[in-house]
Amino acid sequence: MAAGWLSKEIAVVAVPIVTIVLGILIGWLGQRSGFCSIGGFRDFFMFRHTRLLNGYLALIAGAFIGYLVFWLITPSAFEHFFWLLTSGFTPVPGAPAGLSPLAYVILAVIGGIAIGIIGVILGGCPLRQCVMTSEGSIKSLFFVIGMCIGSVVFTLWISGLVVAMLKGIA
Amino acid sequence: MDNENKPSGIDSLARNPLVVGLLIGILAALVQVLLISAGGPEAYGFCVACHTRDVVNIGVNALTGMKLAAAPISQNAVLPVMTVVGVLIGAFISAKTYDEFRAKTGSALSYLWYLLGGLFFMVFALFMGGCPYRIALRVGYGDAIAFIGLLGIIAGVLVGIRIATTIAEREV
Repeated sequence: MAAGWLSKEIAVVAVPIVTIVLGILIGWLGQRSGFCSIGGFRDFFMFRHTRLLNGYLALIAGAFIGYLVFWLITPSAFEHFFWLLTSGFTPVPGAPAGLSPLAYVILAVIGGIAIGIIGVILGGCPLRQCVMTSEGSIKSLFFVIGMCIGSVVFTLWISGLVVAMLKGIA
Repeated sequence: MDNENKPSGIDSLARNPLVVGLLIGILAALVQVLLISAGGPEAYGFCVACHTRDVVNIGVNALTGMKLAAAPISQNAVLPVMTVVGVLIGAFISAKTYDEFRAKTGSALSYLWYLLGGLFFMVFALFMGGCPYRIALRVGYGDAIAFIGLLGIIAGVLVGIRIATTIAEREV
C-alpha cells in the first residue's frame, strides 16, 4: 500500500485543498508565461521558436527530477518508480484498464494524434484554453464546457466500446 | 501595459516557460509524496483532462446517483482533485492583477467548433490516459507507452499544421 507524508485520514481531507492551491499557482504561472504544451511543438515546427517547447521539455525534466528526489526520500510514495524498470511495457493506470500492450500503444497513438490536431487547430492545449477562459475568451470557455461534456460522453458510451473493440483485435 | 515601469524579479521568472515547466514538474511530484496515501494512480499530480473528468464525473454522480468512473484518489477523498478549478481561479487573479483580462467574444459557429473541439479533445485524451501534461509526468515517471503517446502528439501537431495552413490558404 502506497504511503506518503500525510496519513490516509489526513490525506483524504487534504486532497481538494492541496490540489486547489497547486491549481491556483499553475493558473497564475500559466497566465504569466503563456505556457502551452501543444503550442510549444507548433511554434517549433512552424517558426523554430523554442520558448514554449523549452517549457514543456522542462516539465518532463522537472517531473523526473522531482520524482527521483522524493523517491529517494520516501520510496513508499513512488511504488513503481521508474515505471519501465518496475512494470515493463505497460502504462501507468489511468487509461482504460485490462488491455494488452499493443492495445495501449494503439490508444496512445490514436489519442496523441487526435489531440495534437485539435490542439493546433483551436490554438492551444487544455491548460492554455483554461487560462484563456480566465483571460476573458468566450471561445475557450466553450472548449472547457466541451471537455466537461466529453468526460461524461467518454465514460458512459465510448470507454466500454473502445475496450470491447480492442480486446477483439489486439 | 505598465509592466515595464515596475519590473519584478518574481514576475520575470513567472513569465519564463522554462522555469514554470520545471516548477510544475517538481510540484507534481511533491503532490504525490504528500497525498498518495489517499489513493492512486501514480504520476497524477497534474492533468487538465483527468482532473476535469474527476470533478465532472463525481459531480454528476452526486447529482444523479450514477456511478461514473473517477481516479481512486478523487473517489476516496472528501472532494475530488480541484486542480483545474484552481487553474481557472489563479489565471483569473493573475489576468486581473496585470490588467490583461479582456472579454473576447466570437461567432456562434466558432463557439460550436470550440465546444466540439473540447468534447473530442477530452475523449481522445482519456483514450491515452491523460492530456499532454500528465503524459509529460508519466514520461518523467518512466512510462514508455506515454512516450509513444507523446510521439503521437507530435505527429498530430504536424498534421494539424498542415490542415491549418491549407484552411488559411483557401481563405486568402
